[in-house]
Amino acid sequence: MQAIATAFGLVFDFQVIGVILASAVFGMFVGAMPGLTATMATALLVPVTFFMPPVPALGAIVTATAMAIFAGDIPAAMLRMPGTPASAAYADESYEMTKKGQLDLCMGVNLVFSVMGGIFGVAVLILAAPMLAEVAINFSSFEYFWLACLGLTCAVFIGTGNPVKGLLSLFIGLAIGCVGIDPAAGQPRFTFGNVDLLSGINFIPTLIGMFAVSELLRGSVSLDQGSTMVQQQVGKLMTGIGAVWRKYWKNFFRGSILGTIIGALPGAGADIAAWVSYAVSKKLSKEPEKFGTGHLEGIVDSTSANNSALGGAWIPALVFGIPGDSITAIVIGVLYMKGMNPGPSVFLQTPELIYAVFIIFILANIVMFPLGWAAIKSAKQILRVPRNILLPVILIFCMVGSFAMTNSIYGVVLMVVMGVFGWVLEEHGIPIAPLILGLVLGEMLEQNFMTSMIKSDGSFLVFFERPIAGVLGVCTLVVWGLMLWRMLPFGRHGQPVPAGETAPP
Amino acid sequence: MARPVSPDKVESMRFNDTIVGVAFIALAATMIAMTFSFPSFPGQAYGPSLFPRILGAGMIFCSLVLILRERRAAVAAPWLVLADWVREPRKVWSFILTLAAMLFYVLASDWLGFIPSAFLVQIVLLLWFGVRPVTALVVAVGMTLLVHWFFGSMMLVPLPRGILDSVL
Repeated sequence: MQAIATAFGLVFDFQVIGVILASAVFGMFVGAMPGLTATMATALLVPVTFFMPPVPALGAIVTATAMAIFAGDIPAAMLRMPGTPASAAYADESYEMTKKGQLDLCMGVNLVFSVMGGIFGVAVLILAAPMLAEVAINFSSFEYFWLACLGLTCAVFIGTGNPVKGLLSLFIGLAIGCVGIDPAAGQPRFTFGNVDLLSGINFIPTLIGMFAVSELLRGSVSLDQGSTMVQQQVGKLMTGIGAVWRKYWKNFFRGSILGTIIGALPGAGADIAAWVSYAVSKKLSKEPEKFGTGHLEGIVDSTSANNSALGGAWIPALVFGIPGDSITAIVIGVLYMKGMNPGPSVFLQTPELIYAVFIIFILANIVMFPLGWAAIKSAKQILRVPRNILLPVILIFCMVGSFAMTNSIYGVVLMVVMGVFGWVLEEHGIPIAPLILGLVLGEMLEQNFMTSMIKSDGSFLVFFERPIAGVLGVCTLVVWGLMLWRMLPFGRHGQPVPAGETAPP
Repeated sequence: MARPVSPDKVESMRFNDTIVGVAFIALAATMIAMTFSFPSFPGQAYGPSLFPRILGAGMIFCSLVLILRERRAAVAAPWLVLADWVREPRKVWSFILTLAAMLFYVLASDWLGFIPSAFLVQIVLLLWFGVRPVTALVVAVGMTLLVHWFFGSMMLVPLPRGILDSVL
């Protein structure tokens, strides 16, 4: 109770509330701009949050991402261009509704169900995380090693259409994480005698490069791809929402539950949650023939799912330090930088921090309602901001943000190199998200692996001796076996998943 | 993250998987070769070189699968597929200019200072991307000063002063 009171004190501070509101507006804007993703919003925020205490820093990220995921629905309905990949699943459906003259209802449903889905995800987070933390407190390096393996494997398995390329990306990320001083013996590796590299590959410039610069490079050749705006006034948003709720409340719960679970799985985030729940909705619907013609049902499912996935993604991130999606991967990087190693001990040592995150999450979803309303009403003005002005401006933000992380040009160099590298990888269909997860988890994985090896005196059998470690280990090996079977040319080829493969044009 | 490639429009530029695989095998082999210079601890088979070697092996394995798969495919993939935008000189220049702007900032910001280099990067890109001159000027000046104020004064980032050292 004491901790909860402290947490309220931490959050309801003039400055913290200011930061939350500012990042909410920022998130709305970035999310509503096609071509700028929620992950990019986070990547651009991190240099700013670097200079803040933990609570406002986390508050900024939580709020901005929640807003961005909702705001992506706006251009999806008005321009048929999803503002973020998370809205791609139902962009066509929303646009069909708009063409039928149901823009008001579509936006109202998106807003209301995004808010409720978000709150659902947070509720699960609040209930599940402390319980899981109690289990996790007994974990040793063996369990963490297997958890990290399992998490990273999931990231490769679920998040990508081509598991071989996902796995390759993961290995590249882990290898990049090896640069610098090794965590077990203190031996410098792959530094080429360079002092900057001795401190390792700085996480944030890498992130900005991979998620923002590569996007800018792609954007520079597609600036002229304009789109026609629907000429329709936004009217009363809340008309008919009650009827939708009475008809589709089951869809809301189904979408939110699916979204939270998918969000909690490592590697799969809001975009995949939306794709999957849209597909499930269509499959289980009584009138599947209406899907794709501007039918509300699938939108209710998936717009709830993508917002609830955000809360879900924080469960493994806070409890085990294993990110649920690329946004929480960034969050974990931020936590490490602030000297707070995520994991169950945070729940014991600084519970007020965990509660503060919970409170901010709820606040963010509440603030989303009026702000989202305002964003919908002023969407025409927001969407009129030309991308050819945004591109150079974002570029400057990227460079200054990277510079600020190292206080030297090294940060900018790293950003450029990683930006071009990330662009090359994506052009070849190699996804970026596993690489980032690998980079974040690399040190933890190696440390737990080496500690376990030293404890077990080199015997791999000891990795299975503790009960939970044994179960996790066997699970991991089974998943690896399955993966090998699918990956090898003589095995069955997996169906490419459409999810996660769709980015805004 | 990667975009779906529609059959009629080539949006991404790619070498085929054989070249990608060979490139990553070379990279991984170099990495493994470098680990042999790491010190080992007597009586212990696992030192700082173990983890990178496992990763290198993993990269080589993935690359081999990629190559094998493509070699066994019925239709041979072309060595290099060019994206549509490569055939439009203006877009190629847009791409090069965006890259060049970053390189310029890396090379010049230290002696030129943040304000002039950020302004130059923005004004050139804005004008190239077809923003009207007056708007471009306002945006470039405004954003440069805003970023300088925010990061330089609020966040106390030591942005390079360069030639404006005596003025600031």
